[in-house]
Amino acid sequence: MADGLILEKDFRRMSDIVISSGRADDVFVSLNDSDTATLRFANNQAIQHVSVRRPKLTIRVAFGNKTGSASTNRLDKASLVAALRLAEQIAQLAPDDPEYLPPLGPQTYLRMNSHVARTANATSMDLAKNTKPVVDQCVEKGLVGAGIMSRSFQARGVAASTGLFGFQESTEARFSLTATAEDSSGWVLNAHRDIGSLDVSAMTRSAVMKAIASRKPRELATGHYPVIFEPAAVAGIFAPFLWSLGAKRYHRGDSPFSGQLNSVVLDPRLAISSDPVHPNLLGESFTSDGMATQSQTWVDRGVLRQLHYDRFTASEHNVAPNPGPSAAVLAFQGETADSVDALIAQAERAILVTNFWYIRFVDRTDLTMTGMTRDGTFLVENGRIVAGLKNFRFHDSPLRCMKQVEAATAPTHGITINGDKMLLPAMRLPDFHLSSVTKF
Amino acid sequence: MDTSHIPNRRDFIRSAAGTTAAVCLGGCSLSSGDRLMITGHRQTGTAVDHSGWSALASLALEKIKQGGCGYGDIRLMESRNQSLRAEDRRIAGIRERFDSGYGIRALYKGAWGFAASAHFSAEEVERTAAKAVEVARASHLLMKSPVKLADEPIHVDKVVTPWRVDPFEVSLDDKAELLLRVSDVLHKHKGIIRSDGFLWMQRDVKLFASTEGTKLDFDLLAVGGSFGATAKGEDDFQSRNYIVPFYRTGYEHILQHDMVSHADHIAEEAIEKVHATQPAPGKYDLVLDPAHLALTIHESCGHPSELDRALGYEANYAGTSFLTPEKLGHFQYGSRHVNLIADNTRQGHMASTGYDDDGVAGQRWPIVERGVFRGYSTSREVAHAIGDKRSRGSCRADSWASVPIVRIANVGLEPGNEPLDSLIGNVEDGIYIEGRGSFSIDQKRYNFQFGGDAFWEIKDGKRGRMLKNVVYNGITPEFWNSCDGVGNREAWREYGFITCGKGQPGQSGWMTHAASPARFRQINVIDPKA
Repeated sequence: MADGLILEKDFRRMSDIVISSGRADDVFVSLNDSDTATLRFANNQAIQHVSVRRPKLTIRVAFGNKTGSASTNRLDKASLVAALRLAEQIAQLAPDDPEYLPPLGPQTYLRMNSHVARTANATSMDLAKNTKPVVDQCVEKGLVGAGIMSRSFQARGVAASTGLFGFQESTEARFSLTATAEDSSGWVLNAHRDIGSLDVSAMTRSAVMKAIASRKPRELATGHYPVIFEPAAVAGIFAPFLWSLGAKRYHRGDSPFSGQLNSVVLDPRLAISSDPVHPNLLGESFTSDGMATQSQTWVDRGVLRQLHYDRFTASEHNVAPNPGPSAAVLAFQGETADSVDALIAQAERAILVTNFWYIRFVDRTDLTMTGMTRDGTFLVENGRIVAGLKNFRFHDSPLRCMKQVEAATAPTHGITINGDKMLLPAMRLPDFHLSSVTKF
Repeated sequence: MDTSHIPNRRDFIRSAAGTTAAVCLGGCSLSSGDRLMITGHRQTGTAVDHSGWSALASLALEKIKQGGCGYGDIRLMESRNQSLRAEDRRIAGIRERFDSGYGIRALYKGAWGFAASAHFSAEEVERTAAKAVEVARASHLLMKSPVKLADEPIHVDKVVTPWRVDPFEVSLDDKAELLLRVSDVLHKHKGIIRSDGFLWMQRDVKLFASTEGTKLDFDLLAVGGSFGATAKGEDDFQSRNYIVPFYRTGYEHILQHDMVSHADHIAEEAIEKVHATQPAPGKYDLVLDPAHLALTIHESCGHPSELDRALGYEANYAGTSFLTPEKLGHFQYGSRHVNLIADNTRQGHMASTGYDDDGVAGQRWPIVERGVFRGYSTSREVAHAIGDKRSRGSCRADSWASVPIVRIANVGLEPGNEPLDSLIGNVEDGIYIEGRGSFSIDQKRYNFQFGGDAFWEIKDGKRGRMLKNVVYNGITPEFWNSCDGVGNREAWREYGFITCGKGQPGQSGWMTHAASPARFRQINVIDPKA
């Protein structure tokens, strides 16, 4: 292991140095320190293996409404004071920021078990040994495996001249595999605090099975289809909904939700909440500005109940600010199916999507997005998978395709390649727009 | 948690005084000749004293050799970045970031290891080098075919970005005022509901040293900026943006672009755009300007011609490529008008750093020549897979903490011979597209969909009224084969990128795509809402 991360007492001492040396009205200090080991494999062998220790400390100060920010990764006393002075110089030269608010005062944070020793202690050799059976299974099935096995150990801290102080240690392990055959592929991704809970062998079997089952893909005409989305696919379509809950844009009028608070925006059996302490999520106890995270309900029975009020917008509208929709859970409030297999078994005809790729907004006013299906797209007929399919481009919005849900499972883990871990159901939707097709 | 192995904070910050390499931590006095130091903030100098870097590099290389490695290198780096962000007539943030550290690569029996640390001391460098060897030994468990590096001459050199005005010497007052003046002009226009502005500058001081004897000093600079305005219509809002392209030079680049002088027409066009109509879906001839083509080239030519992707290295993340090696030399990627040339020697372009992070000298080579697929961006590791004796020198890391990977070079569309007027003049029913909008492409880079920043109708050879919500869709080789004219050198423009995502852990790549405008026949324009 690299030398240890910054401890709470160390951060307290560093932030005390900065705050006590500060000449500004407000001083806010945040820390992010991490030790990350990532083994990357492709073509059934290791292609990259890194071990990186990377601290970063950011200081934000304000004279009245004039603010400046400086960050450094050298954490001795002289460097901290130098960064502080730089932030102060920036602030003195900066124009007034009418939206500036002083740092929060002391907060009460949720307690969470975010640090798992066996993840933090996993060595590069452990990562290699965990990966060996994954590669072996790909080789045995005549497939080409590519993916990652990683673990990171992170320390986050916030402190301010107002008495605010927070510190959290956390760990995260990640496993992903793309198993590729000549004309098909299968994909899995999981992340967990505990490296022992990644379920590598079951996930490997799933990716391998998908690669084999989607061989010789058929090309289907474009159009509107009933679809079954696995949780990662739901995550891809749904995440932009979460990003768009900001109250600032809502009140300015350029939010897709403007005017729709307390209106039905999704299927009346869908609920969205944040659950930062959920043991199967990667919740944090405070936001980047030190606000305590909390359990929150955003949508209940399809009705939009809450916007994400940043502190400034909250003060303008005289409401309480809240942390954003992190550690999200999307739940189906009706009777749930047991598994993706059960959703398949009940389907007369549908397209099963494992994952999406390169999702981008086409129109932010109604959350219309485009993107591609990837690594496991299937035709389901009469309750079973009958063929792999060439990948489609889609063109749709969660505000349309999730207006009506046919059936869903209970929430399970879902992550997109670039996204946060969420808990989401697999879903069967009656109508999704697959607008063009690609060559594989 | 188990803290027994964790040294206390006092140990961690203990300076290296008394060790063979007398490197001091931040806060040491600076040598007056050090250009990294900036007079505006002289008393706060957080720059590293680089004089000890060479000794630290030697220590690391020695440790790698002792570990039984056939190859190794170290990159010691200090980056300084400053950015200013404006939003709606206010400065929403001014940030300055100092980031320093070193990354060490070790190749043990053909297996890679990499370790990085931010702590400059002799002990920590030795520990990190040992770690890189230990990681490589673990990788060796998973190696079938050992990595062999393509030969490269030994280089000892220093590379400095030429500049006239040091961006870190320009006062924050001047920079903030520039953005505020732009937003004042934008918001004078009734109908503009929001605006944003951005200025960015970065200096990277770097030492690269390898066990082969290559030793390279770098002092690199880059700047860029942008602003945008959003107009609200009855039930719609639309934005329009102006880009000061990222470029390797000094602040004079920002001044030359005179952002304020462009603010009125950007605001006017945002307002015209929100009231514009959307074209009916169907086939149109498109004339694409360089600011738009830069992104098209990046996505549809740059990425698929990265050899590591074609070999499957990115199968789990960024994706693979339809440009597989058997297509090299004969595949008709585009029409005879299409010449896409990689050039990492062109001054000012973001990937023109003299040498890459493999220590390979910058080069110029064809990717597509008269429409035929001719070449890849490569590294010393992958070059042999296509029978090349030498790397193309396009292997870069985004910081000291990242491992170098194959990156898109400065790939540009070579000028043709048509003046812009003639490109447009030969279109009966078409659309002129400027700037970047929504974009998405499949993982092999076949099926793409692009929007843009601004659109004008072309009717009977004349550019007419603005349009909005134009989105076109196609298959890469079909699209480039429909190109029947490229504009001349007069209309050639260069656009730098700093946010090209690739790799796990993710890295942001930098490169420039230059182009002359070009005409594409009968492209599928879709209804983005259907």
